[in-house]
Amino acid sequence: MSQVRLEQVTKSFGSVTVIPPLDLSIADREFVVLVGPSGCGKTTTLRMIAGLETASSGTIRIGKRDVTDIRPGLRNCSMVFQNYALYPHMTVAENIGYGMKVRGTSKSDIEKSVAEAARILNLGAYLNRKPSALSGGQRQRVAIGRAIVRQPDVFLFDEPLSNLDAKLRIEMRTEIKLLHRRLQTTAVYVTHDQVEAMTMADRVVVMNQGRIEQAADPITLYEAPANLFVAAFIGAPSMNFIDGIVERGEAGLSFRAPGEVAFPLPENLAAKLGSHIDEAVVLGIRPEHTIATAADLPKIKLHVRDIEPLGPHTLVIGRVGSASFTAQVHAAARIAPDDLIEVPIDMAKVHFFLKNTGEAVGR
Amino acid sequence: MSVRTLQGKRRWVALGGCLLWLAFTLFPLYWVAITSFKTPIAVVGGPTYLPFVDFEPVLTAWNELLSGERGAFYNTFIASLIVSLSAAVLATFIGAMAAYALVRFTFRFRLLSALIFVVVAFGGFLLGRNVLGYGQGISLIYSFFAALALAVISSRFRLPGPELGNNDIVFWFVSQRMFPPIVAAFALYLMYTEVGKLGFKLVDSYVGLTFAYIAFSLPIVIWLMRDFFEALPVEVEEAAMVDNVPSWRIFFGIVLPMSKPGLIATFMITLAFVWNEFLFALFLTSSKWQTLPILVAGQNSQRGDEWWSISAAALVAIIPMMIMAGILSRLMRSGLLVGAIK
Repeated sequence: MSQVRLEQVTKSFGSVTVIPPLDLSIADREFVVLVGPSGCGKTTTLRMIAGLETASSGTIRIGKRDVTDIRPGLRNCSMVFQNYALYPHMTVAENIGYGMKVRGTSKSDIEKSVAEAARILNLGAYLNRKPSALSGGQRQRVAIGRAIVRQPDVFLFDEPLSNLDAKLRIEMRTEIKLLHRRLQTTAVYVTHDQVEAMTMADRVVVMNQGRIEQAADPITLYEAPANLFVAAFIGAPSMNFIDGIVERGEAGLSFRAPGEVAFPLPENLAAKLGSHIDEAVVLGIRPEHTIATAADLPKIKLHVRDIEPLGPHTLVIGRVGSASFTAQVHAAARIAPDDLIEVPIDMAKVHFFLKNTGEAVGR
Repeated sequence: MSVRTLQGKRRWVALGGCLLWLAFTLFPLYWVAITSFKTPIAVVGGPTYLPFVDFEPVLTAWNELLSGERGAFYNTFIASLIVSLSAAVLATFIGAMAAYALVRFTFRFRLLSALIFVVVAFGGFLLGRNVLGYGQGISLIYSFFAALALAVISSRFRLPGPELGNNDIVFWFVSQRMFPPIVAAFALYLMYTEVGKLGFKLVDSYVGLTFAYIAFSLPIVIWLMRDFFEALPVEVEEAAMVDNVPSWRIFFGIVLPMSKPGLIATFMITLAFVWNEFLFALFLTSSKWQTLPILVAGQNSQRGDEWWSISAAALVAIIPMMIMAGILSRLMRSGLLVGAIK
């Protein structure tokens, strides 16, 4: 059993508080991805789990052990770094086996483990090469090999794929997932790339300014973001936001916003928004939910500024009132800049947030 | 633009310029070399340039030098070799450890602790010498250890006053090289003779001379190695830390091999410094551990400037360094870090 628990953990560098009290628990065998913009404290959190930073206060547990004040080497974690951090003067085999050699493992056992790691990671042909003679992807596989021979309680990945080119990144993404499925070891993975987070994680922890904004499985994050930050961060292209107010009219509740946006709210949304009449709210709708074809959907007027044909569909970038808005249209649609088009809004996929707190309404 | 891209006449002009510069730098060496094969009469009898053409080379100077007629040549050569090699090795090694500590660990202490050290060291010495009536050597040793102990103990407490950190320590190290060496040489000679009176022979001894050279080389070693260590990717060490590699093993097994070019460059600089050092050798040695620079200077004797023998001795002093630099420059190649990161 090797769950990881952070209890009221804080971190300050001098007078700057990077992490206000943070609670996070990671289940045994779970693949958790910490994601957020740079400076959000995700790497600091990971380094505190590894022991490379000491927590300013709070408790960190791995399994049943309190490791808060234990040095990194005794926490039985393996870490893969963004820039690989290989030992440049050692061959691939020596790199992978160095930790075991230091711990006094017998030569034959080291060879066996190295061979096994090399087999899993397809490094067999390169065992006698120095890291300088390897490509970026191979180097990162060596770093992963060095991590797996440790047989750690927890794998820690610090943006391991950011230095690879896009194609290789997608390949390695799958490789790491397969590896996790095979080894069944608890893993904490840090990235700033929300696609990486969504595709790899059992559970995504979205962080901002040292706080956890939402921790949930990828689909929940996508379908029920807890607040504006998560809604904006998850999904590409990101969600459209229109500031407006909810009004009570003769026919029930309706949403009104600058730019001639006004439409009635269906029953289920009206129930949630009933207590926020005349309050400033933010409507959120993802571009992929503006392409529905049902006839009775409310429509909003979009001033087209640019179009981005992507092949399967086309993105239309423009303005609704003064808010920028991206809509998704069929690839065959004939639209040109400066057009004024009507975009349908799939009311089943609409999100509402309170303007002043950013909280999602009705969660 | 590179010289290689030049065409026609300009190319020849560039080549001519380079050759001129080559001649300019090589000529003194050539001059020393031929002078060492000249007879005293040929040396003073006006300039001659080509052996066998305008003068007949003789081995007089070399015979005199190698036979020991002009000072104990072999003894001096070997003393120079032993002292400079061991001082350079030890200084590089100790300095590298200090530099690594200054790069990777944070040190904090109060200015007051440093003041306590200075006051106790000086005051203790004066007290022991003038009031308690101890000898200079004993006073020196007592006050030094008392000052060190008090400074270390006092740094454990939260003293008032400004706090000093790693950069201050580095500056303190480097500042050792700012005063004229003659000041230190004098003081060191006095201290060595006093300690010698207690039974530890330091003047004209291997230990004394090597110690002095290590102490005097350390600032530059720390300064240079600090830069090399700062350039190392810290993640490599962190990876080892997470992998439970003990600190000493990280230093010896990972950090030192990664900074090999830096270590060798620093070793070479230190070696050259010690090999060429004159002042300390002059003060701290008399016969047994005399070094080559003293021997070379000694050729300039009462009989006048004997350029032929000075030349021979100078060549002997130059050649080992050239060989050393030739061997080590191969190891100094950069690019050792390729593959560690990115």
